[in-house]
Amino acid sequence: MATVVTLPRLSDTMEEGVIAKWRIKVGDKIKRGQVIAEIETDKATMEFESFDSGTVLKLVAAEGEALPVGATIAVFGKPGENPDAGGKTSEAKASKPVEGTTPISGTAPPEGANGEALIADPAGDEAKAAVEADAEGVSAKPASPEGQGAKDMSKAPARDDGRVPASPLARRLAREHDLEIAEIPGSGPHGRVVKTDVEQAIAAGGTAPRAPASAPASQAATSATSAPAAPAASDKPAQRAPAASTATYSTEADIDGRPYVSRATRTIKLSQMRKTIVKRMGQSKREAPHIYLTTAIHMDRAMAVRAELNAAVDGTKISVNDLIVLACARALRKHPKVNSNYTEAGIVEHGDIHVGVAVALDDGLVVPVIRFADQKSITAISRETRDLGQRAKAKELRPEEMAGSTFTISNLGMLGVENFMAVVNPGESAILAVGATNDEPVVEAGAVVVRKVMRVTLCSDHRAFDGADSARFLQTLKALLEAPMALFG
Amino acid sequence: MAILQIRQAIRDAMKEEMLRDDRVFLMGEEVGYYNGAYKASEGLLDQFGPKRVIDTPIVETGFAGVGIGAAMCGLRPIIEFMTFNFSAVAFDQILNNAAKIRHMTNGQFGVPIVFRGPNAAAHMLGSTHSQAFEPYYAHIPGLKVVAVATPYDAKGLLKSAIRDDNPVIFLESELMYSVKGEVPDEEYTIPIGKADIKREGKHVTLVTWGQGVPVSLKTAELAAKEGIEVEVIDLRTLRPLDTDAIIDSVKKTNRAVVLFHDWPYGGVGCEIIARIQELAFDHLDAPVLRECYEDVPFPYAENLENLCLPTPEKGLAAVKKVLYKRG
Repeated sequence: MATVVTLPRLSDTMEEGVIAKWRIKVGDKIKRGQVIAEIETDKATMEFESFDSGTVLKLVAAEGEALPVGATIAVFGKPGENPDAGGKTSEAKASKPVEGTTPISGTAPPEGANGEALIADPAGDEAKAAVEADAEGVSAKPASPEGQGAKDMSKAPARDDGRVPASPLARRLAREHDLEIAEIPGSGPHGRVVKTDVEQAIAAGGTAPRAPASAPASQAATSATSAPAAPAASDKPAQRAPAASTATYSTEADIDGRPYVSRATRTIKLSQMRKTIVKRMGQSKREAPHIYLTTAIHMDRAMAVRAELNAAVDGTKISVNDLIVLACARALRKHPKVNSNYTEAGIVEHGDIHVGVAVALDDGLVVPVIRFADQKSITAISRETRDLGQRAKAKELRPEEMAGSTFTISNLGMLGVENFMAVVNPGESAILAVGATNDEPVVEAGAVVVRKVMRVTLCSDHRAFDGADSARFLQTLKALLEAPMALFG
Repeated sequence: MAILQIRQAIRDAMKEEMLRDDRVFLMGEEVGYYNGAYKASEGLLDQFGPKRVIDTPIVETGFAGVGIGAAMCGLRPIIEFMTFNFSAVAFDQILNNAAKIRHMTNGQFGVPIVFRGPNAAAHMLGSTHSQAFEPYYAHIPGLKVVAVATPYDAKGLLKSAIRDDNPVIFLESELMYSVKGEVPDEEYTIPIGKADIKREGKHVTLVTWGQGVPVSLKTAELAAKEGIEVEVIDLRTLRPLDTDAIIDSVKKTNRAVVLFHDWPYGGVGCEIIARIQELAFDHLDAPVLRECYEDVPFPYAENLENLCLPTPEKGLAAVKKVLYKRG
């Protein structure tokens, strides 16, 4: 069987070439690696070393003729063989059609040169395979169907034959729970789906989506706040985790040969809200030198007052956060420096106190504003915060309800955060980051007692005011919350 | 309740049955004057005399055949093989006479006979004396095969075997004659064909018998230290097989290992695995594994022999493998 020699890709950008000079003639015996021609590429004239060996039966390409990469240029074979009687190539070369293999007018390619499987293609992607195949010395042998088949088998991904490796029990469980066994990643040997995999798939939402991590709307007023500083808190997709069907097997395997499950990486398009968060938080962190002061507040009495109020006044559901909003508003009245913002023209001290309350949404956060908070009763603040929080979750807030805040509170306490640093909202000079209220041992009068301790961190723009101002604000806030009756005076 | 060794439990079973039924007699090599090669017939010659406790020449095929003939004539012989390795010489008698007489005579003759003796490898007995014979005998329709691992089971099952109207192969272990255990003072029997759950567990079913029982129980102890609860099923009877006990357990645990003292190829272990896959296929979460002898003629050298035997550590490895646990 004859071997077809094609025009090789000698540079990355080469698309066609010219045989500048043949170094061989019909009847020559060629060894692999022997220079057989000089080829002009788009860059240079290069020597072409043969990938094949054999006797030259025919030179197809004429010197000076421009040919596309992959075109037949010569035919090798055994002496006396008919060069037109169906060329063959090694199995490695037979795998892919090559562009530009159409016969060149005026030349007579060997029969079968149009048959894709017969085109030798040392160029492009196939070059390496061809070279490797040559290195194994297979090019001189007829393609072996068995060998080819075996290669295909070894290359085939675990599930390409349509058969999913799964234990009988896993199959039965999947059947009973109406799950596709093919969509469940297997953790057993060779990716076998086993009982625990199906159980996990069932737990992960074979029937119901997992509850989102965010707080229920009914508690919005209490807890549905988040920090501009912590966009991670908004990373609570309501939809399920990526479907198991996007999972595949990694080529990497553990020590027992079980492949790791690989899941697709995805890019989530930026929503308008996220773009705003990106812009404003970036601006704040770039421009405002932040300082952070933390204090621990004993909330025993505030909690007691809250409970008492809720029990005593019908229809009242005051949260700890409501008390913090009111206490902040009162403290701001006493410390106007904190209720400000820096401009190049000067520090703007706001006459009115509008407290923003960060609310976490599934895909971001918003900051509705309690206007004139220092002049509102605790019940009014509570009612308003709850209403704003619920409508924020429903995305029903009007723009003006989210504008004009002079100070912000971000509460992640309901998520168990002890203490954190927030990012100041541009246009303000401080944000209070509120942590959880926990029972803690506290030393009082030489004895250890249990107190409900809440840590708050005032995160502020150092351009507007200094650490001592911040500390004095916190002192006032602490005093108000630790003796909460003052809030009702 | 008395604490007896297995050899004493066997002796007591034979003694009680010989007292109960004067058709019962014991025959074999060294069973009389020597009181049994492993002292399993101690005192029986003195008690019952040479007509019922018969020392034979070293001709297994002869005394096995005489026993079968006596059984056909209405007696109830107990034939002791000094080891079941020697029963190979009597194999034709057992295969073609004991197992088939009832069938070939259309029930005119039965063969109520017990062939008993130690089975499988003991310690450094070389390749020809270290073989397990249950695959050969359990293979044969017409025979019943029992393998015991405790004094209680040995006595109760041997009495049932002696009273059975069909030939019973009763497998003991040379290494286990001294195993002690409680045996009730009062009369009792254990039905042939009933497995016994020697230890309950919910994670893996470990099916075993004979010498495999103590190894399996140790395996379960090792596994328990790692939080794995292994259920150990002592089959006690290999034919007829207590399929329900195995399948019920596998349905509970979803995984099984068969641990036994025999070669892997063919045999009782394979029969058990075949039944599990047939009857509990949809309950299996892992392939059923075997832990057994290496597939070689047994070496005499102690170090090499030890490498061929199932061990608790190997059992644990198999248990973890069917649990998809590493290491």
